[in-house]
Amino acid sequence: MNTWIKVARYHLVGPASYLMLAWILPFSFAVGAVTAGRARGHDAAGYLASFFIYFAVLGVRTIGRSLPFSLTLGASRRSFYCGTALLGMALALACGLVLTALQAVERATGGWGLSVRFFRVPYLLDGPWPATWLTSAVGLFALFVYGMWCGIVYSRWGLLGTLAFIAMQALVVAAGVVVVTFDHWHLWSAAGGSLVGLTGLGLTGVIAALTVLLLAGGHATIRRVTV
Amino acid sequence: MTPAISVTDLTRRYRDHTALDGIDIAIGGGTITGLLGRNGAGKTTLLRILAGHEFPSSGSVRVLGAPPAENEDVLRRLAFVREDQVYPDIKVGQALRAASWFHPNWDFELASALLDDFGLRADKAVKKLSRGQRSALGITIAMAARAEVTLFDEPYAGLDAVARQVFYDRLLADFARFPRTVVLSTHLIDEAAALLESVIVIDRGRLVLNAATDVLRGLATRVSGPCLAVDSLAEGRPVWERRRLGSQASIVMVGPLSAHDRERARSCGLDLTPLSLQQIVVRAAAGVLAPVPIRVPETGFEAGFETDRTGA
Amino acid sequence: MQEMAGLAEGSALFVQVAERLAGQIADGGLAEGERVPSTNELAVFYRINPATAAKGINVLADDGLLEKRRGIGMFVATGARRRLLARRRGEFTRRYVEPLLTEAARLGIGTGELFALIKEAGDERESVSL
Repeated sequence: MNTWIKVARYHLVGPASYLMLAWILPFSFAVGAVTAGRARGHDAAGYLASFFIYFAVLGVRTIGRSLPFSLTLGASRRSFYCGTALLGMALALACGLVLTALQAVERATGGWGLSVRFFRVPYLLDGPWPATWLTSAVGLFALFVYGMWCGIVYSRWGLLGTLAFIAMQALVVAAGVVVVTFDHWHLWSAAGGSLVGLTGLGLTGVIAALTVLLLAGGHATIRRVTV
Repeated sequence: MTPAISVTDLTRRYRDHTALDGIDIAIGGGTITGLLGRNGAGKTTLLRILAGHEFPSSGSVRVLGAPPAENEDVLRRLAFVREDQVYPDIKVGQALRAASWFHPNWDFELASALLDDFGLRADKAVKKLSRGQRSALGITIAMAARAEVTLFDEPYAGLDAVARQVFYDRLLADFARFPRTVVLSTHLIDEAAALLESVIVIDRGRLVLNAATDVLRGLATRVSGPCLAVDSLAEGRPVWERRRLGSQASIVMVGPLSAHDRERARSCGLDLTPLSLQQIVVRAAAGVLAPVPIRVPETGFEAGFETDRTGA
Repeated sequence: MQEMAGLAEGSALFVQVAERLAGQIADGGLAEGERVPSTNELAVFYRINPATAAKGINVLADDGLLEKRRGIGMFVATGARRRLLARRRGEFTRRYVEPLLTEAARLGIGTGELFALIKEAGDERESVSL
C-alpha cells in the first residue's frame, strides 16, 4: 500500500471530524430554510458558505492534530502532505457531487417547494451540473489546501507567524489593488475587463490555478516542519 | 559490519543554545544501548534527529545506512516513542490499527498482549488516558512494530514500578526472539542497567562516555579501611574521590583490580565495593571523565603514606 | 533497582552468569551431558541482555566445560564437574582458609583455639543432621 493512501486512511481512522461534514449541511440548510421561510423567495445560499469554510477548518486540523503521530508512525512530511491533499481532493469531489445532486433536486422541486435558493448560488453555482460539480469541488479543495498551509505555518512559526502570514496575504491583495488602480490604469481596464468578462467557469479556472500555488506553498513549508 | 546507527560530528543549534555539539556515535545492530544524561543534556534532541523528527544543523546522521530525515525506506524500519506524543482524536485500538499499516513487521498478538499487561482498553479514547496509560500506549506501539531500530525516549513517564517491570520483561523477551537495535533514553539507570549492552552518556550536548557496560562494571571500586592501607593500595592509580574520617579513608579507585590487589586488600582488612553502573554514569555525567584522577591536596595524608612505606 | 534474580550490580554480569552456571555444574544441578539453558532463557531468567548471557556461556565453552552441539544448543561437557571440583579444592585455601586466619589473627584467636572452634562447630552440625 502506497504511503499516500496509508496517510489518507490514517486520517479517516478517527472519523469524527469528517462525519461532521454530514451534519453541517442539513444544519445550515435548516437554518437557511427557516430564515427563507419567513421571507418567501429569500436567497439562503449564503448559508452554504459554512460548509465551504468547514473545509478550511478540516485542512487546519489535519496538521495540528494528525501530523505529529503520523511522523511517529514513519510517514515522511512529503507523504503526509500528499496523502492529506489526496484525501482533501477526494472529499471535495465527493462533497461537490452531493452539492450538485442537491442542486438538481432543488431545481426540480422549485426550491424545496418554498422557492428557497440554497444550493443555487448566483453566478458561481448556477450552471449545468458538470459546472456545478467542478466549481464546488475546486472551491472546497482550495479552502482545504489553504487551511493546511495555515496549519503548517502555525506549527512552524506559531501564532505570530500565522498572523504575519495572513497579514502578508492581505498586503499582497491590497498592493495588487493599489498597483492596478493607480499606477497602471490600462491594466485596471484589462484586469477589470477580464474579471467582469469571467464566467463562473473562468473563475473556477483562476481558483484552480491559485490552488496549485497554495499546494506548492504548503509543500515548501512542510518540508522542514518539526512537531 | 556497518553500524545500525552512525552519527558523525552532529551539531544541533537553536537560536539561544546548542543542544548537541559535535557528537560522534556508532551503535552496532542487535544491541540495546542506554542513552543517559541529565535533564536537558540533549538526549531527546538526539533521538528526534535519529527518528527524522528534527534536522541536524551540521554533521551527518545515518540510520540503517542512510539519513533518516524524509527517507521512508529508513522510517518504515524505525519505531520511536516520544515523551510528548500528540495523538489525533482516536481510540487506543484505532491508534494501533493505524500503526499496523505503517510497520511491515507489526504483530497484533503482541500488541494485544501488551494492552492486557498494561490494563489498556482498546475502545478508550486516547485523550482520556492518564499519563501512564499514554506511555503504555507508546510502548505498545513501538514494541509491536518490531522495527529494526527502536528508539525509546523516556518511555515510562507516569508508569509505576510494576508496569515498568512489565516493559523491561517484555522488551527482553521480545528482543531475544527478534533481535533489533534498541536505544533507550532513561534516567532510571539502576533499573535498566542489566538490559543495556552499552551506554552513551551526554552532558550539555557533548558526548562524555560511550562504552560497553561490562567494561564499566568493575571499572571503579570503592576502597575503604585504614588510611595507610587504602593509600598503599591506590598508589600510582587514578582516584576519583577521597574521603577521610580519622584514621579511616574511603576512596574510589579507577581501573580493574587484579587477584593480587584483592589479596592485598583482604590481608589489610580493606573493604572493596565495586561501583554500580549508575554511580559510574553519574560521575561521567557530572563531568568527571573516565579515568582522570582527581587529586585532593592533603599534605598530612601524603606524609603518613611516606612514613608507612619507610616503616614497612 | 531492577531485580536480576540474584545477580549483583557492580561487577561484569557475564562473569557472574558464568559463575552461576559453573556453580550449578559443580553442585550437580546441571548434570554432565545435560542441555544448558539457552542464551534467551538465561536473559529472561536473570533479566539481563541476551548478549551478556551469551558472553557468560562462552566463558565456560572456551574453558571446555560446555560443548556446542550444532543446531541443538550447549551441553555440559564430560568431566566438567570433576574439573570444577578440583579447581574449587585448589581455591579452598585461598578463598576460605586464609580469610579465616586473617580474621582470627585480628581477633587474637590462636591456631589451637581455632582448631577447637572448628571442631566444635563441626560436631554441632553433625548432631543437628542426626
